[in-house]
Amino acid sequence: MNNTLAIARKELRSYFASPMGFVITGLFALLFGWFFYAYLSYFVRSSEQMMMGGGTPNVNQHMIAGLLQNAAVIILFVMPMITMRTYSEEKRSGTIELLLTSPVSDVEIILGKFFGAMGLYAAMLGVTLLYVAILFFLGNPEWKPVAAGYLGLLLMGGCFISVGLLVSSLTKNQIVAGISTFAVFLFLWVINWIGESAGPTGRQIVSYISITEHFDDFARGVIDTKHLVYYLSFITFGLFLTAKSVDSERWRG
Amino acid sequence: MIEVQHLTKRYGRVTAVDDVSFRVERGEILGFLGPNGAGKTTTMRILTGYMPASDGRAMVAGLDIFDKPIEAKRRIGYLPEAPPLYPDMTVREYVDFVARIKGVPSKERKDRVDTVMKRTHVADMADRHCAKLSKGYKQRVGLAQALIHNPDVLILDEPTAGLDPKQIIETRDLIRSLAGDHTIILSTHILPEVSQTCQRVVIINQGRVVAVDTPENLIARLKGAETMFVQVDAGGADVLPVLGAIPGVLGIVASDQRGVVGGFEVESERGTDIRRQLARTIVDRGWGLLELRPMRMSLEEVFLQVTTEERPDEPTNPAETITPAMVEPVPGVDSHE
Ligand SMILES: Nc1ncnc2c1ncn2[C@@H]1O[C@H](COP(=O)(O)OP(=O)(O)OP(=O)(O)O)[C@@H](O)[C@H]1O
Ligand SMILES: [Mg+2]
Repeated sequence: MNNTLAIARKELRSYFASPMGFVITGLFALLFGWFFYAYLSYFVRSSEQMMMGGGTPNVNQHMIAGLLQNAAVIILFVMPMITMRTYSEEKRSGTIELLLTSPVSDVEIILGKFFGAMGLYAAMLGVTLLYVAILFFLGNPEWKPVAAGYLGLLLMGGCFISVGLLVSSLTKNQIVAGISTFAVFLFLWVINWIGESAGPTGRQIVSYISITEHFDDFARGVIDTKHLVYYLSFITFGLFLTAKSVDSERWRG
Repeated sequence: MIEVQHLTKRYGRVTAVDDVSFRVERGEILGFLGPNGAGKTTTMRILTGYMPASDGRAMVAGLDIFDKPIEAKRRIGYLPEAPPLYPDMTVREYVDFVARIKGVPSKERKDRVDTVMKRTHVADMADRHCAKLSKGYKQRVGLAQALIHNPDVLILDEPTAGLDPKQIIETRDLIRSLAGDHTIILSTHILPEVSQTCQRVVIINQGRVVAVDTPENLIARLKGAETMFVQVDAGGADVLPVLGAIPGVLGIVASDQRGVVGGFEVESERGTDIRRQLARTIVDRGWGLLELRPMRMSLEEVFLQVTTEERPDEPTNPAETITPAMVEPVPGVDSHE
C-alpha cells in the first residue's frame, strides 16, 4: 500500500516536473472549453426556439450530456500522451532496474503507475469542472446527473489508462508506445461504427465491447451497474495483462 | 551470506552465465572480475532478483531470491551498471523516493537520507536535478541509493566507473569501511582496485568461473618462481657468474645495461628469500647495490592469462598450463578492452 502510494506520488510528480503535465492539462481544458462554448451557444439558441414552441429546455439533457460525450473523444486523443512514458521511459533509462530490485511487488508498481496517471487525469477533469460551475452559476442544472457523468468519465479514462500501461510495457520507445496506444483507442472507438453495419447480434456484441458505448448512459446521468461492472472488469483485465507483460519481459531478460 | 549454485542464464542461444558457483561469507568483499561480456552484470542481475536464472540457485542472506524475492530484496542494496536515476527529481527527492520503496520507516527516513547523502559526498548537490549531475555524481547518487536501507548485502556493478582519482580512493575507502557490517560483491575491470579492496576474487570469462582465490594467492599461484630485480654498479666486473653461484638461484638474466651499471632479473625457488644473500654478495665485492626489489606479477597479467586460457573447463588449477610472464605491476591502468 505504502509502496503503491510512493510510486503514484513519484509518477504524479514526474508529470508536473516537466511541462508535460501542464501542457496536457492545458490542452484538455482548451478543447473542452471550445466544445463548452459551442454547446452553450447552441443550447441558448435552441432553447429560445423551444420556449417559443412551448417546451422546457433541460440543461442536463440538452447540453451537458452532449458535452461530456465530446469530452470522451478528447480524452481519446489526450490519454496516450499521459500513458506512453509510464513503462517505456523506465525501461529506456534503466530505472526499471531500481523498481524491479526493490522489495515491491509488480502489482504494487502497476497500481502505483495506474493511480499516478489517474491523479493527473482527475486533475484534468477537475479543471473542466470550472466550466460546469458556470452553468450552475447561470442556471440551475441538477447536480446528480453531472456527478454521474464525471464518474463515467473517470471510469472510462481508467480503461484507457490500463490499455495505455499495457502498450507502454511492451516497448522501450515512448513514441512507439504513444502511437500504438492511440491506434488501439481509435479501434475501440470506431468499433461502434463497424457494429452499426453488422447484423443485430453483431451489433450487440460490438456495443458490449466498445468502451465509449458504455459511457452513453453515464453521460445521460444514469449509473447502471452493468456499465460499472464492465468498466471495472476492463480496468482489472488491462492491469492484469500489464502484470503478465512485465513478468514475461523479466523472463526474456 | 551469498551462495550461488550452478547458476546459468541463457538469452536465446547465447549463454551469458554458464554454471557459475561461488560463496561469499558475511562481512567479506568479493571482487568480480572479467572482460567485457563475461557475464558479470548478468550474474548480478540474477542475484538482485531483476531477472530469474535459466538454471541454478542463488541464496542471499539465507533466502532464495527466486522463492522469497521480497524478503531477499529487502536485504540487498544494488548499484546497477547505469545508475538508475530519475532525471526530473532532485537528488534529495530521489533518495527519499528510494527510501520509501525500500521500506525505510517514515520516522527514520529523513535522517537516513541525510546520513547517506553525506556519506557518499552528494549532500552539496541535494537540490540539483539528477539530469544535471556529472557522471561521477550520478554514480555517487547511485551508491547512496544502494545504501539507503542499510542492507546486509551490497551488490555494486562497477562502482568506481566514471569517478575521478580522488573520488575513486574515497569510494574504495567507503566500500572498505562498509565491509564487516555488510557483505559486498563488486565488479570491476580495474585490477588494482581488486587487490586494494577485495579479500577474494572471482574471475569469470565467457560466463564461466576460471579462478576463485585471494588476490595474493592468485598472483602467487601463477608464478612458478620468485624473481628479484637487482641493479648493480660492478665497475665493469662480470656479475652474472657471481650472482648465479648464490644458493637457491635458478637463473639470471641481464635485463638492461647502462655503462657500468647493470640490471639483472634473478629467479629463485619459491619460498626461499635470497634478498639478504644477494645484498651481502654484492656489497662484499665492493660493488654498488643501487636497487633490489621483488618483481611481482601484477593481477593484470594473472587476469590476462586466466581469461585467455584455452581450457576454461579446468578452473581449479590454471597454473599448470600457464607460463608466467615477469612484468612489473602497472598500477592504475584501466581494463584491456
Ligand atoms: N538482454 C540481453 N539479451 C541478449 N544478450 C544479452 C543481454 N544482456 C547481456 N547479454 C549478453 O550476455 C553476455 C554477458 O553480458 P554481461 O552484460 O553480463 O557482461 P559483463 O561481464 O557485465 O560485461 P561488461 O564488463 O561489458 O559490463 C554478453 O555476451 C552479452 O552480449
Ligand atoms: Mg557489466
